[in-house]
Amino acid sequence: MQVFGPNELLADVLKKDLCIGCGACTEICPYFKSYKGRTSMLFSCTRQEGRCHAHCPKAEVDLDELSSFMFGKAYEGSPLGSYQSVVISKAGPEMIPGNFQSGGTVSALMTHALMERQIDAAVLTDWKGLIPVPELITEPGDVTRFASSKYVTAPTVSMFNKSKQLGYKRVGIVGTPCQLTAIAKIRTNPLDREDFEDTAGLTVGLFCTWTLDARDLLKYLSARIDVEKIKKLDIPPPPAEVLTVTTVDDEIELPLSEIRPMIPRACSVCPDMTAEWADVSVGGLEGSPGWNTLIIRTQKGAELISKAEASGFLVTDKMPKESFEHLSMAAGNKKARAFRQAMEDGCLNNKDDGHAALRVSPTILKEMNIESGEDNVGDT
Amino acid sequence: MTPLKHNPYNLVITGVGGQGNVMASRVIGNMLSIHGYRITIGETFGASQRGGSVRSDLRISEEIAFSPQIPKGRAHMIVAMEPAEAIRVLGELGNPDVKVICNMRPIHSVNVICGDFTYPSAEQHKEWLSDLSGQAWFVNTTEAAVKLGNPIFSNIMLIGALAGTGDLPLERDLFETVIARWLSADKVEKNLVAFDKGMSMVKDDKRDG
Amino acid sequence: MSAILKGKKGDQRLFMGNEAIARGALEAGVNVVAGYPGTPSSEIIESLSRVAKDRDIYVEWSVNEKVAAEVAAAGSLAGLRSMCTMKMNGVHVASDFLLHLALTGTRGGMVIVACDDPNAHSSQNEAEMRHFAQMLEIPLLEPGSFQDAKDLIKWAFELSEELRSIVFIRGTTRLSHASGQVVLDELPETERKAAFRHDGFILDQMTGSVISLPIAFKHPQLQEKLQKAAERYEGCPFNSYTGPENPDVLIITSSACTFYSIEAVHMLDLQNRAGILKLTTTWPLPKRLIKKHLQTAGQILVVEEVLPFMEENLKVLAYEIASEIGIKPILGKRDGTLPSHGEMRPDVVAGALAGITGTSVDQRSEEYEKKVNERVFFGAPARDLTFCPGCPHRASLWSIENVLQMDNRQGFVCGDVGCYTMGLSPSNFGTLKTAHSMGSGTGLASGFGKLDRFGMEQPVLSVCGDSTFFHTGIPALVNAVHHGSNMIMVVLDNSGTAMTGFQPHPGIEKNAMGDVAKSIDIAKVCEAIGAKVRVEDPFEVEATQEALFQLLEEEGAKVLVLKQVCALSPEKKWSKKFEMSVDTELCIGEECGCNRLCTRIFRCPGLVWDQESKTARIDSILCTGCGVCASICPANAIRKTPLAANGKEVA
Repeated sequence: MQVFGPNELLADVLKKDLCIGCGACTEICPYFKSYKGRTSMLFSCTRQEGRCHAHCPKAEVDLDELSSFMFGKAYEGSPLGSYQSVVISKAGPEMIPGNFQSGGTVSALMTHALMERQIDAAVLTDWKGLIPVPELITEPGDVTRFASSKYVTAPTVSMFNKSKQLGYKRVGIVGTPCQLTAIAKIRTNPLDREDFEDTAGLTVGLFCTWTLDARDLLKYLSARIDVEKIKKLDIPPPPAEVLTVTTVDDEIELPLSEIRPMIPRACSVCPDMTAEWADVSVGGLEGSPGWNTLIIRTQKGAELISKAEASGFLVTDKMPKESFEHLSMAAGNKKARAFRQAMEDGCLNNKDDGHAALRVSPTILKEMNIESGEDNVGDT
Repeated sequence: MTPLKHNPYNLVITGVGGQGNVMASRVIGNMLSIHGYRITIGETFGASQRGGSVRSDLRISEEIAFSPQIPKGRAHMIVAMEPAEAIRVLGELGNPDVKVICNMRPIHSVNVICGDFTYPSAEQHKEWLSDLSGQAWFVNTTEAAVKLGNPIFSNIMLIGALAGTGDLPLERDLFETVIARWLSADKVEKNLVAFDKGMSMVKDDKRDG
Repeated sequence: MSAILKGKKGDQRLFMGNEAIARGALEAGVNVVAGYPGTPSSEIIESLSRVAKDRDIYVEWSVNEKVAAEVAAAGSLAGLRSMCTMKMNGVHVASDFLLHLALTGTRGGMVIVACDDPNAHSSQNEAEMRHFAQMLEIPLLEPGSFQDAKDLIKWAFELSEELRSIVFIRGTTRLSHASGQVVLDELPETERKAAFRHDGFILDQMTGSVISLPIAFKHPQLQEKLQKAAERYEGCPFNSYTGPENPDVLIITSSACTFYSIEAVHMLDLQNRAGILKLTTTWPLPKRLIKKHLQTAGQILVVEEVLPFMEENLKVLAYEIASEIGIKPILGKRDGTLPSHGEMRPDVVAGALAGITGTSVDQRSEEYEKKVNERVFFGAPARDLTFCPGCPHRASLWSIENVLQMDNRQGFVCGDVGCYTMGLSPSNFGTLKTAHSMGSGTGLASGFGKLDRFGMEQPVLSVCGDSTFFHTGIPALVNAVHHGSNMIMVVLDNSGTAMTGFQPHPGIEKNAMGDVAKSIDIAKVCEAIGAKVRVEDPFEVEATQEALFQLLEEEGAKVLVLKQVCALSPEKKWSKKFEMSVDTELCIGEECGCNRLCTRIFRCPGLVWDQESKTARIDSILCTGCGVCASICPANAIRKTPLAANGKEVA
C-alpha cells in the first residue's frame, strides 16, 4: 500500500473532511491527537512516511492488499466480504442477562476470550455524556459495562495503539468497519518495521450503515435533553425513520431527517457495512431483537465461536434465508453507493501523483456496473 | 592622553542575549574614560536575554563624542562572544583591516535548533573569520570560564584578551579600579584571574582554539 | 552606593542616557517620581529607586502611566518637584489626564520624560510623543547629548515653575540606552514641604481648586504660557550652533540625531561648508533664533526621528518670516531626502548630506562586500527571538497551543505587550493571533466572546502578564464578566514586570524602593470580579492542559492564572531545580513517533540537536533545569534528576 506522511494525511483526509476520527493516527506520536471525537494535527511534522498515514482507513486503502493479507485472496467485492459462515447468535446461559443491546453476542465473545486468555486485554468504547472514550480492560467481568451502541464516531483505534505501548501482546478489539480497516492496515506492518509485532488477538466487527459526528450529535441533543441522562440510542428498522433516545426518565423519538446531516462525509465513501476485515462481525437481526447476525470470517474467529458455544457463552442458530438476503442487499447497496461517491469525489483509484482514499480493482467496479476508475486521473 | 591608533577607534562587543555584553562594554568604557578619551557606547538592548543577537558599539575618540552607532564597514576591532555573531557584525561593520577576537563556543539559535538553518563547523568559522579580517584570535573562554566556576566569566576573559592585543590601553590596574566600583573584594580577585587568563589566551595567537 | 549618587561636582562619569536623566533629576532636587516601566525609559526610575532612601525622595512604579502622571501631579500640586517617566505608548495612556492637567496647570515643577523608540527596537510601533506636546499645548525639550540629558532636567524644572505648566522631555532609544560621559554638578539639599492649598480664589492656580474650567479663561492662559515658553527658548543654553558663519548647508537637528549629524559632517569632511544647529527646544520653536540661522544658510536640512515634526513647524515659521529672509529651501522628510520611518544613523544622514553637497562617502570594496554578504548568509544563521530556557511562557503557550489544536474549533489567543508577544512568531508556536496595546488582548477577547449570536463558535482566549493585568487588564476582564462574554483570560503570572527588567507591580510584596508593600492577589481580584478562576503551575503541563480543557467547557468569562517565576528573576537565575539529561538509547530522534518534537517544535534553546548521534542533547550551560521538556518527550527519553537548592554563583 502506498504510504505517505503527515502532511498528505492532513491534506487528503483531515482537510477534505474524510477523517472519521477512528484514532488510528493517534497515540503513536505527539502530532495527532483525538479529543471529543475529533482528530487534530497539533504541529507540523516533516516526515515523508509515517504510521499516521499508513494506519488511516481513509487514505490509500488498497482493498486487494487488505484482502490478500486477511484471507489470502484478491478482493471480490461481494456484499458481505469474505466469510466462512453466517449464522444468528445470542449470549449463552453463562452470560448473566444484563444491559447488552440486541443479542449480547459481542459481550459474550469478549468475555469468553478474556476468560480463556485468548486475549490479554480488550479495547472497548465507553461514552461519557455521548463523547466516546475508548478504554482498555483486562477483567472479563468489565465487558458488559460497555454493551451499548451510541451510533457515534469514536477514536477506538487510539486505545489499540496505546495498548501496544503498554506492552499487551494479544489485544481484542471491538470496532466499526472503519476502525477495523485501520486495525487491518496496522497489522500489515505497512512501514516494514523490523521491530513490528502484530498484537491484534481478536477483532470483532460491528455492522454499520453510517455513524454520527459525536460533537454535532452532542450539540443537537444537548439543546433538547439532558445528555447526562441518556441510557441508550437506537435506530429502529424502517419505516420508523426515527432515532430513539432512551433516558433515565423516558423515551424520545427524533426524526432521522434531522439526524442525517450529522453523518460525517467519510461515511459516504465507506464500502463496508459488515466489518469485512474482522475475525467475526456482529450486527442486529431484523425482526428479532434478542438475536444477532454473526459472520464468521477467519479461522481464528471460527475457533473462538465453537469454543464459546461449547462452554455456554454463545448460542447460535441457522440464519433465515430472507434475513440473509436483506442483509446482502443492504451491504451491496452501501458498497455500490460508496464506490460511486468516491469516484465522484475524486478519491477512488487516483492515478499518477494523485492520492486515493480507496483503491479497488476496475474489474470489480465494472461487475458492479460502476464506471471504470481508469478515467479518474489525478487528484481533484 | 596616549594617541589612539584610530580616532575614533571603533570597537564592537557582540554576542547573544545573556552573555554579559553590556557589562563588558561598560567595563571597557569606564577603563578608557580614566585615560581621558571621549566614549560613546551604543547598545542593542531589546533582544537582550531573549536569545537574540546583542551588539555594543564603542566609539573611543580624543576630542568630539561620536554617534552610538559605528558607520557601515568602519569597525577596527570586533570582540565576539559567539562565532556566528562575529560573522554577522563583519557583515555590517567589517573591512579587510578589522581585527577579531572570537570565543569559539557556539550558541545555536532556535532557527538552527529546529533545523531551518545549519550551523557551520568551528573550522569553517575560523577560516571565514580569518579571511574577512586583518587579524583574528580564536579563544575558548566559555570552557575556561566554566573551569573557573561560572560561564559568565567568559566576558571578563575577553576583556583580558582585548587588553592582551595591545590595541587599546587597557591596563590591568585600570580593570581592577573599575570593577572594584561594583564588586566586593573576593569577586574582584576572581575577575582578575579571569582577566589574566584572557590576556594569556591571545598570546597564543591563532594557534589557540 | 549607586552609580548616580557617586561623585562630586566636576567629576566625570560614564552614564547611560537614562542614568544621566536620573542624576539630573537628583541635581534638580526632585521629590516625587512615578512611572510605568517601558523600554527605553525604565532605567530612569530604576536608578532613582535605588537612591530614593539616600536622597529622601519618593519613587514608585505606578500601576499604569495615567496613574503615574496623577501621582506625580499630586506632588506638584502639593508644591513639590515631581517627575513622571514612561515610554511613548504610555503618553497615549496618560493623555486623558494630561489634557486636563495642561489646562489646570501645575504648582511645584513637573517634568514628564517620555522615551520614543524609533525603529521599534523593543516596541510594536514607532509612534512619537512629540505631537502630544503640540496637542496638549505644553513645551517640549529634546536633549542632544548625554550632558544635556542631565543638565536639561534642572532647566526644565525651573521652566515648569516659571510657567506653572508641565514640561515634556523626549528621550529616544539611542540616547536613553547609549552611554557617554557626563560632568556632575552638586546634589542640593531638598527642603520642600508638601501641602495642598485649596482655600484660595477658584481661578488662582496656586491656591484655588484645581480644575480645567472655565475654558474661556484656562485655555487662553495655557496659550499664554506657551508664548512665554517660546520666549524663554530664545535664550535656552541647550541650543547651540557649530560651523561656519554662512554655511552652504545648515543642519537643524535635535535629540540623538545630533550625534548622527556631527558624524556625517565628519565623515564627509564638510566642517567648512556645513553647520549644525542643535535644537533642544523643539516645541514651540524660538522664532528669533531660527530666523537668525535661516538667513545665514544656503539650504537647510532637517534631521530628526521619526516624522517631520520639527520640519513642518520650521516650514510654518519660515513662511511667516519669508518676507524678511526670503524663501529658503528646507530639505528633510517631506521631500524624501530622509525617510519618515525607522531611525536615523550616521550613514543615512551622511548619505543625504553627500547628495546635497555633491560629495561621497567611502564605501567598502565590491569584492569585500560580496564576500562578506555570502558568509553572513551561510555563517550567521538567523537568530529569532525566543523564550529563554526555562521560561514559563514557553510552557504556558505550549499547553495553550496543544489544547486549542486538540479542541479543533479554530480557537485563538489574543495577546498584548510583554515577553509573551513573541508567541506570535512561528518559533514560539504562533499561538498568539493578535497583539496590540497593554491589556488589549483581554478587551478583544471580551468582544470576540460575544459574537456567538452571529455564528462564531471559535473558543477565544487572551493572555495577559501579571503587570499588564494591573495596568489595563482588569477593566477588560470586568467588561467580559459583566457582559457574560465567552472567553478565557490566561494571566501569565511570572512575578514581575519581566520584559523591562523585573520591576515590581501591585502583585509583588515589595515596592520600587525595596519596602514591603501590600501585594494584591490576582486570583482573588478575578474571583471578586465574578469570574471562575483556576490557578495552575505551567510547568505542570498535564494539570495546566486539564484546567484549560475544563474551562473551555464553561460558559462566561473565566480566568486561568498560570503562576511560575520568570527564569531570569534574581531569585531563580543560576539555580536549577533539576539536572536534565537525554537517554540517547531511548531518544528516537527523527523517527516516526517523534520527529524531533523537542528541538524542532518546542525549541527551548537549552535543548540542541546533535547532528552526529541524531539525538537531542541538553546544553547544560543554557539549561535552567525547569523540567518541562521531560513531560513533552514522547519517548520518555528526557530525564530529570532533582537537585538540592544550590547557592547562587554570580561573576
